[in-house]
Amino acid sequence: MPRVWSYMRVDLKFGDISGRWVDGLKTSPWLALIGSLINGPLRGKRRPGSAPIVQPASVAGRALTVVIAIMGFLACLTSGAVFMVSQSADEWFADISSEITVQVSPAEDNEIEKKVTLVSLFLAKQSGIVKVSPLSEEESGELLEPWLGDSDALSALPVPRLIAIEIDRESPPDLAVIRRSLESNFRGVAVDDHRRWKTELRTVTRSMVIGGFFVLVLVGAATVASIVSATKSAMASNREIIEVLHFVGARERFIAHEFEKHFLTIGIRAGLVGALGATFVFLMLPVVMRILSGGGLAAAEFKQFVGTAILGWPGYLLFGVVVIVIAVLCMVTSRFGVYRILKSYN
Amino acid sequence: MIRFDNVGLRYGLGPEVLKDVDFHLLPGSFHFLTGPSGAGKTSLLRMLFMSLKPTRGQIHLFGQYCADLPSAERADLRRRIGIVFQDFRLLDHLTTWENVALPLRVFGNSEASYRDDVTDLLKWVGLGDRMTAYPEVLSGGEKQRAAIARAVIGKPELLLADEPTGNVDPNMANRLLRLFIELNRLGTSVIIATHDFQLMEQCDAPRLVLHEGRLEIR
Repeated sequence: MPRVWSYMRVDLKFGDISGRWVDGLKTSPWLALIGSLINGPLRGKRRPGSAPIVQPASVAGRALTVVIAIMGFLACLTSGAVFMVSQSADEWFADISSEITVQVSPAEDNEIEKKVTLVSLFLAKQSGIVKVSPLSEEESGELLEPWLGDSDALSALPVPRLIAIEIDRESPPDLAVIRRSLESNFRGVAVDDHRRWKTELRTVTRSMVIGGFFVLVLVGAATVASIVSATKSAMASNREIIEVLHFVGARERFIAHEFEKHFLTIGIRAGLVGALGATFVFLMLPVVMRILSGGGLAAAEFKQFVGTAILGWPGYLLFGVVVIVIAVLCMVTSRFGVYRILKSYN
Repeated sequence: MIRFDNVGLRYGLGPEVLKDVDFHLLPGSFHFLTGPSGAGKTSLLRMLFMSLKPTRGQIHLFGQYCADLPSAERADLRRRIGIVFQDFRLLDHLTTWENVALPLRVFGNSEASYRDDVTDLLKWVGLGDRMTAYPEVLSGGEKQRAAIARAVIGKPELLLADEPTGNVDPNMANRLLRLFIELNRLGTSVIIATHDFQLMEQCDAPRLVLHEGRLEIR
């Protein structure tokens, strides 16, 4: 067995179940790692006389670890989801902000193709425009298909032609100038900068992010309440240790420090378990999305609608923040708990 | 060393459980604290140990007036006192050796400086072969001796023992009494709270008798 696993404690009980699969589980280094994260190092392997003053693996401590791990997982999951929604909303908004559409009305003299070409050439010369893509008659017709159906009547209608324009986001063109120039040079040409659509999208995405933050605040409050309550319960079970330390002449600061160390370790360990769980979920999410969307065109549409489902590294950094907050919360709660108990003796 | 002047104690708004307690104990003295159950022996011990404040009167320990001492100074005074609880109060997750060494550890001493002292003391109280045992496997007498060893390892000037023979057979009670007498010979002042008359008859020591909240020295 590698040396790194040898001091780790695995308290998982398998009862009398036997078999190669179970034996494999018993010797699994991953289970040893999870066991060590939950239980801490082996009691029997420590240096004689160096036992931690605060009991490392009590029932209350284990319950606290489980509660913190679950709440940490939920907090990481929520913060990751909110971050991802915010990230996707920004991407959608950026995509739509980088496009404008020019609408060319059908000309009386049936020379619309020429007019589209001229307008496209004019637009291509303007600074701040990256790409000009005139849509063909068929492509314009396809856009109306969902409303009018696939019929010959479509070709008889005076359907306006569209020119999709991609603008340079770094140095965007002056749309007012372009609009004026087009209106003075061509008849029946209108510029649509998607302002209305952008406003609506901004409202929707902001609502989603605000809603997400609201959920995050609720989960955060529940996490704080659960951790504070569970830490207090664990502290109550350590009352005897505090009492004994107090009676053998330990200073308040010493006792508080011992408990802070203990609960900080529990907080970090349990918070890490929760964060690792959430990391696993977010790493698996793109795979799950790919399976759910079915692949091909459907997958592309699904991706366009819900985004890539890939959490960026700042999202994973958030998990670190969650772990730190949880650990500090445990530490501070235990400190107040110690002083509250000691106050009753003084 | 210990002076109680007109000390009274009541819990909440209840009647006074200790009334006008006056006594003065000299260094190196040996006393029994006795009285019927509920007479206030444990309360008096707790006041001696500064874990209970009197509702009136003054307590001086080692020449210092105890009321309103900052917590750090109270902790320093407690280091000069060893206490043996009736229910031992050994920490279950520490071995006998670690339990006994606990006071020195919290004083901030290095393990190397007390390793031999703890081992010698455990041998002296007859627990040489139980040093690595956890309290849950110790007998009542062994726990009591471990608790006494923990109380005296810091070489206290005052040793308080609350019913130290309450959980042991007469033979073990005699052995523990001899241990206290031996500690007293080495210079530690000893106060043993007990209502075991057999035990008190074996030692010609003054008795602090509590009766209906008042203290009398016999």
